[in-house]
Amino acid sequence: MSITSDILRGHTETIILAHLLEQDSYGYQINKDIMKKTDNRCELKEATLYSAFRRLEQAGYIRTYWGDETVGARRRYYSITEEGRRAYQSYKRDWEEAKFTIDQLLK
Amino acid sequence: MNEKIRKHIEELFTNAPKTRKAMELREEMTQNTIEKYQDLIAEGFQEEAAYQNVISSIGDVTELFGDLEERTPLSLPEKDRKKKALINSAAAGLYIFAIGAFLCGMAITEIWFFYPEAATIVIALTVLLCIPPTCMLVYAAQMYPNYQRKDNTLVESYKEAVHARNKEKSVKAFVSAIVWLATLIFYFLISYVSSKWEITWIIFLAGGCGQAIVCLVFSLRQKTA
Repeated sequence: MSITSDILRGHTETIILAHLLEQDSYGYQINKDIMKKTDNRCELKEATLYSAFRRLEQAGYIRTYWGDETVGARRRYYSITEEGRRAYQSYKRDWEEAKFTIDQLLK
Repeated sequence: MNEKIRKHIEELFTNAPKTRKAMELREEMTQNTIEKYQDLIAEGFQEEAAYQNVISSIGDVTELFGDLEERTPLSLPEKDRKKKALINSAAAGLYIFAIGAFLCGMAITEIWFFYPEAATIVIALTVLLCIPPTCMLVYAAQMYPNYQRKDNTLVESYKEAVHARNKEKSVKAFVSAIVWLATLIFYFLISYVSSKWEITWIIFLAGGCGQAIVCLVFSLRQKTA
């Protein structure tokens, strides 16, 4: 379990980018999707999620805007930029390569 | 219960820097946490249990505070910083080109023509050549106004500004001194060589122009630093 969560933490940014590829989203929605996809096995700590957002924003991979909800608090949405898409593709390639290598080594 | 969550998150942010970024993060966290809480209630959780659940999943927020300080050099995205550097270096290149053109023009008027008007024309052309790079520098400074300063607390930015200003002042004075000294040396040198005392005073105008450029460069740097 600890290996899994370590690896997951190392890929927080890519996981967020992957979610934003489909549509714009906000913090809780992304975390909900992650839980759903993993059958509640994994959930990001909010602090982890927000620091990943800040890093991605600083790198220019995502943009943020406030939603226009009329009831309750406004949501802060994120959308992926062109650079973000490119970064995702290159992360993804790196991961496929790492996965392949580790699989070979652990056979 | 929403108020209780809001209060709890406000407490977490007591030691956060008082910046717009911090406020936005607090809003974002509050909204997400409340939404999660409401989902848990909808799933049939007891109020207290749901509250404990959402609070514990927030994690350690103090590690986020470092990001919220926001150092100004990082305020421009990488791409914009590169663009700005490009504009600045191009402007510097054009200035050097203008100086080169000025010197060449002067040399040519010395050798082939014997009209004092030719020198005036060369100077006028040089001034014209200086217009585009000056516009570029002004544009580069205006293109990305620096909002980050407002984010910091007043006292802190005041201290920072005073510190920076003192350092800036001494450097500026030093550069100005060099510009004027160079102008003076240049004046006597050219005057003796060409023995055209009646026209070489124009070099002082060029010196004044150089001084203005120095002032401009410094004020631009102050804006971006």
